[in-house]
Amino acid sequence: MLDFFARNRVATLCAVTILAFLLIGAAAPGYLSLSTASVVMSNSLVLMSVALGTMLVILTRNIDVSSGSVLGLSAVVLGMMLNDGHSLGLAIAACLLTGAIAGLINGLLVTMLNVPSIIATLGTLGLFRGVMLIMTGGNWIEELPLSLKALADNGSVGFSVLTVIVIASLIVVGLFVRQTRFGRYFYAVGDNREAARHLGIPVKLVQIAAFVAAGVLASVAGMIFAAQIGFIPNQAGNGLELKAIAANVLGGVSLLGGSGTVPGIFVGVIFLTSIDSALVFLKIPAFWNDFIAGAVLLLVLLLDGRVRMAVDRAIRAKRYAVHHHNHSDQSAAPGSDVLPKTRIQEAGK
Amino acid sequence: MKRYLLRWETALLAMLVAEFAIFGMINPRFLNLSNLLYSTSDFAQIGIVALPLTIVIIAGGIDVSFASAVGLCAIVFGIANFFGMPLPVSMLASLAAGAMAGLFNATVIHVSRIQPLVVTLGSLYLFGGAATVLSGVVGASGYEGIGNFPDAFTSFAYFELGGLPAPFLVLLIEAAILFVVLHYSRFGRSVFMCGLSEHAARYSGLPIKTIQTITYVMTGVFAGVAGLVLSSYFGSARVDLGTATLLPAITAAVLGGASIYGGQGSIIGTLLATLVIGYLQQGLQMSGVPSQISSALSGALLVVAVALRHGSAVLADFVAARITATNRKRAAS
Repeated sequence: MLDFFARNRVATLCAVTILAFLLIGAAAPGYLSLSTASVVMSNSLVLMSVALGTMLVILTRNIDVSSGSVLGLSAVVLGMMLNDGHSLGLAIAACLLTGAIAGLINGLLVTMLNVPSIIATLGTLGLFRGVMLIMTGGNWIEELPLSLKALADNGSVGFSVLTVIVIASLIVVGLFVRQTRFGRYFYAVGDNREAARHLGIPVKLVQIAAFVAAGVLASVAGMIFAAQIGFIPNQAGNGLELKAIAANVLGGVSLLGGSGTVPGIFVGVIFLTSIDSALVFLKIPAFWNDFIAGAVLLLVLLLDGRVRMAVDRAIRAKRYAVHHHNHSDQSAAPGSDVLPKTRIQEAGK
Repeated sequence: MKRYLLRWETALLAMLVAEFAIFGMINPRFLNLSNLLYSTSDFAQIGIVALPLTIVIIAGGIDVSFASAVGLCAIVFGIANFFGMPLPVSMLASLAAGAMAGLFNATVIHVSRIQPLVVTLGSLYLFGGAATVLSGVVGASGYEGIGNFPDAFTSFAYFELGGLPAPFLVLLIEAAILFVVLHYSRFGRSVFMCGLSEHAARYSGLPIKTIQTITYVMTGVFAGVAGLVLSSYFGSARVDLGTATLLPAITAAVLGGASIYGGQGSIIGTLLATLVIGYLQQGLQMSGVPSQISSALSGALLVVAVALRHGSAVLADFVAARITATNRKRAAS
């Protein structure tokens, strides 16, 4: 049982999330309802899409901190196309293309110029935001047509077209990284780049693909943002990149690359988003939001790391005890101290 | 001579001179000495946090939480002042809060053994949230600032010594101290050792945890200094005082030559990079470029500078390989 949780951060987080939901439900009756679930879901769509793209990049042992600006830039492209009278389909296509180009720039910087990804995307974070502001001249884009806002309508079924799009992209990406050959390359490249290269995997292409996918998913998030809010402020997407990385970490994606799952992202994002709605129900002022999010993030990480280490130690002690029946009590203690080196590496993963 | 010419710091200095020349041509008022000195007050805080951050990066870590630690320290100062503490006590409380924040980061990193980026990302939210909550204590709910500081404090940021404005002076003194600490002390050498190879450092008996903890605590304390300088400059302590320093400070450290993989970097480099970034923004503003374009340009600057650096390293390797090849050929014939 303990063993299972130690191996499975997603399960840990799931358990914590469900426990939190139950506790909040007990404290604030009416919280556990379908309408809350619907609100949490639609509030999480933007973050979900960005986090999913970020995961693909992190899998290849890179990082993308430019996604917030890509979101803003592509949302502005979408809004300006629509307000110029182009059709919705064309505008969305341009929006996605913007994201793809932005991702391609990141990918080329990282693979061709060998710039460390955190530096490259930090630079493009400023660059894309600047391009966006130049395009809008610093003004907000308002009065978006109803056809776009209709995408965010929940209608009678309780979920919108946008929800379907995000769920579909979750499934597609999930199947892609698990079931296809090219998808498995992402893990191989992130786990050991040199080995992957020697196996004949197109290492650079895989990394570029990851950045392009992240760009496209960020532009999907931009579309969702524009449809849900109905206007595009200058700061659209600001700070979202950090939240997306936090959701990844919560969801068990290792920043060292090569491990992470789509269900993990889903739970991580839902957890982060439900904090907001829970605060409303518990009548806690909104300014506690960041504090609680940060505390929870650190707490989960600490618990997760500690539990994993403790379980590893217990397993080692058990194994050791089989061989030395007589001294199991005394020898278990030094046995657990001798091997911390390998544990460090495992815990880091 | 060649040893000094080929250094990265020289390239940064050239960049700075080029900036002065270009902006001076566009707007001669830019080169006015008092303008050059006083505009440092707008970006001195970037350098104040970027310098200790450089040391953290050299030691193989990274800290992004300083951005909200600045606000937290400012709020702590504001609260201490609000409850009638004497000025030195309030300032000490603020610096102590910064040290605690750094200590917290280092402890969590060492206890959980999770990557520093992740941990400090969590504490970025935590400190920012704590600052917001604390500012609610004195009734400045939400994002309002805490004001009503004594005149002695608010006039500090406008005080000058030998023509140098106080924030810039703070930056220079800090740079001098950290320069000696990093480049001319046993501690500084062990910082480089930690970043180059943690295993080698451990096997040679260096107290890695202590060294890394000190680097994080330093960052926290200087985040407190930045918080105080900014509170004095704006006349009020706000939660979001430091948020705008996050990216420029990391940019300054990296542009200054710190390797994100650890083991490389210099104080002079970061100081020069801070000036390059700061004067770029000031110069663009004075040339009538809208602030939105200047943010795009500083992003582009980072990418281009780092790409150039990596590109030139590749090129230098290539040239060196060619020279040895021809030498060998010559020797053989």
